[in-house]
Amino acid sequence: MATQIDTHPTALPQQVGQLTTGWKLAMGASFLLLVVGIVAFIRELSTGMIATGMRNVGTMGGASWGLYITMVVYFIGVSFAGITIAALVRIFNLRQLRPIARIAELLTVVFLLMGSLAIIVDLGQPVRGVINLFRYARPQSPFFGTFSLVIAGYLAASLIYLYLGGRRDAAKMAEYPSRLQRFHRWWAAGYSDTPEEQARHRKTSFWLAVTIIPLLVIATSTLGFVFGLQVGRPGWYGTLQAPAFVTLAGVSGTGLIIVLAVIVRRMVHDKTALGIDVFAWLGKFLLALVIVYLYFMTVELLTLLYSTPEVEKQLSDALLFGQYAWIYWGSVALLAIPAIGLMWQALTRRWNVGWLVAAGIAVNLAAIGKRFLIVVPSQTHGTLLPYEVGSYSPSWVEYGVVLGLFGLGALMIGAFVKAFPPLPLGDREEVTADA
Amino acid sequence: MAKYAMVVDLNRCQGCRACTEACKIENNTGQGMFWMHVFRFEDGAFPETRMSFLPRPCQHCDNAPCVKVCPTGARFKREDGIVLTDPDRCIGCRYCELACPYGVNYFNWQKPKDSQYSDVISWDDPDIQAITGGAYPPYKNPDLDKEWGPEGRRTAGGNHAKGVMEKCTFCVQRVEQGSLPACVDTCPVTALRFGDISDSESPVSRFIRENEAWSLLEEAGTKPSVFYVGGKPPSHSYKEVERPKARV
Repeated sequence: MATQIDTHPTALPQQVGQLTTGWKLAMGASFLLLVVGIVAFIRELSTGMIATGMRNVGTMGGASWGLYITMVVYFIGVSFAGITIAALVRIFNLRQLRPIARIAELLTVVFLLMGSLAIIVDLGQPVRGVINLFRYARPQSPFFGTFSLVIAGYLAASLIYLYLGGRRDAAKMAEYPSRLQRFHRWWAAGYSDTPEEQARHRKTSFWLAVTIIPLLVIATSTLGFVFGLQVGRPGWYGTLQAPAFVTLAGVSGTGLIIVLAVIVRRMVHDKTALGIDVFAWLGKFLLALVIVYLYFMTVELLTLLYSTPEVEKQLSDALLFGQYAWIYWGSVALLAIPAIGLMWQALTRRWNVGWLVAAGIAVNLAAIGKRFLIVVPSQTHGTLLPYEVGSYSPSWVEYGVVLGLFGLGALMIGAFVKAFPPLPLGDREEVTADA
Repeated sequence: MAKYAMVVDLNRCQGCRACTEACKIENNTGQGMFWMHVFRFEDGAFPETRMSFLPRPCQHCDNAPCVKVCPTGARFKREDGIVLTDPDRCIGCRYCELACPYGVNYFNWQKPKDSQYSDVISWDDPDIQAITGGAYPPYKNPDLDKEWGPEGRRTAGGNHAKGVMEKCTFCVQRVEQGSLPACVDTCPVTALRFGDISDSESPVSRFIRENEAWSLLEEAGTKPSVFYVGGKPPSHSYKEVERPKARV
């Protein structure tokens, strides 16, 4: 707010450049997680993937894809929702949501990077993977879409989107004398907020948003195809895979945007910066997506229970009553209970930020659980030849690497919000006026 | 051009697993890896139980799901029908393993030992040389490390390496030199046959024609090059017994 700038003439808005104790503690913890991840990954590199809990499908009675692929799907899902919301804001000119656009874009970029690293750690030959995936790329492989569209195309598009969307604020930030001035000047790249530039900026970001939405629906669908096109794995093969992937991606991403928005709101010490109307919109959006996803789950469940060829029966028994039942029903509860809570808040029109954060975290845990259930049981209980059922539980190395990825993501987000304002400057008056 | 196929005669198979042994020695595969696995099934309730056996090599499918999903072309099918893995190109993503409905792929979870089966023998010992006639021990067989076929890749799989996939090669190193795969050569009851099915008068072609051969998981549409004669497709009511200790 203007008053804040007046009382501290040298301070940058939104606490940019000010390293508070809370921030330092959070970053220290994230750094520790990253160290754990690096140690675990070195262990995996030196001993081979025998250090993980994964083993071969079939005679070895294991699962060949485990926690890593679960997290790849989860991370890319979150990133999908970020950029979707950011693009929707521009296309439909959702004024009251503009303050969260940059948070959403940031989440996209960071989670895409985490997702691509999660793929790399899952490879038996990580270095060769980075080279050969480009050198010998085969478009016939469903993986091709993951690497080209998701990792490359979509990361480039969201970086450009984040960059262009931030130029106006970068120009404003560059007016403040600070150590970050050079960075802000570089980002602004000569932008000076004249009416022509504003018009061009609006036009560019609108069309970029229009092109980004189909790109990312296709990209996330190709991730569903990685599983959905495989006849050889009961539980994977199905038309519903791609749309269900996209929907659950929306659920987890929206949940995390709520959490990150609340953190940012606390960080900038300005509750008017993100009004309750923003959270109400996010809450309703999350509710709608959770309901659609629960619908998909019901359809899937009925199809599975009604037809049940032998292998599918073995698989559905393991999911609903056996080894995986606690994850399955846990995920259902973590989706259904927040849905009821959100519906109550929507009906009474009384939104509580604390409850929203709880719902956001709950649906993300459910999303990780559901991703795990897509990836793993079809391997341990879904062999078409009558091999004995297998088992899989992640080893400390896998948990360590995944924690490390979360640490890295938190460090990237933490560094960004101290180098650049996470909320748009100068839009806040309009927002409060609208509210 | 020849197109190779294998026929498994289930009327003859007695589940002795000599083929599994021969495969492991020929190809020096690591612990827990069974390029050729023989299921021993039990069906029914005591005393009405029935044993049956099912050898399961790689099916070398004409419509191979593993070849389709490989992101780098490390898994490929040759014109003569053999499906092979290029260990120098494989990145270890294990997608082929999950696409395969038969479970024939094995990933090298750790660095394999050079010699899997002959640690105690000194191959330079004159007493041993007298028996072997100076033959190469399997793990030193240079054939396994050669570049095979018109594609010129090191596909024989003897060069096991950490972090890549491997599976049955139909013993490409033997077939290229005019011999039979190790499992076929070893089978004591001729339950396994191997030959060229592009020639309709070859013994294998005739055997397939005359005996109503079927293939495993026909409904998956993979068009295997391995055919079965006699017996019946395994059902999920079968219980696998006497499993090898396979988890590494």
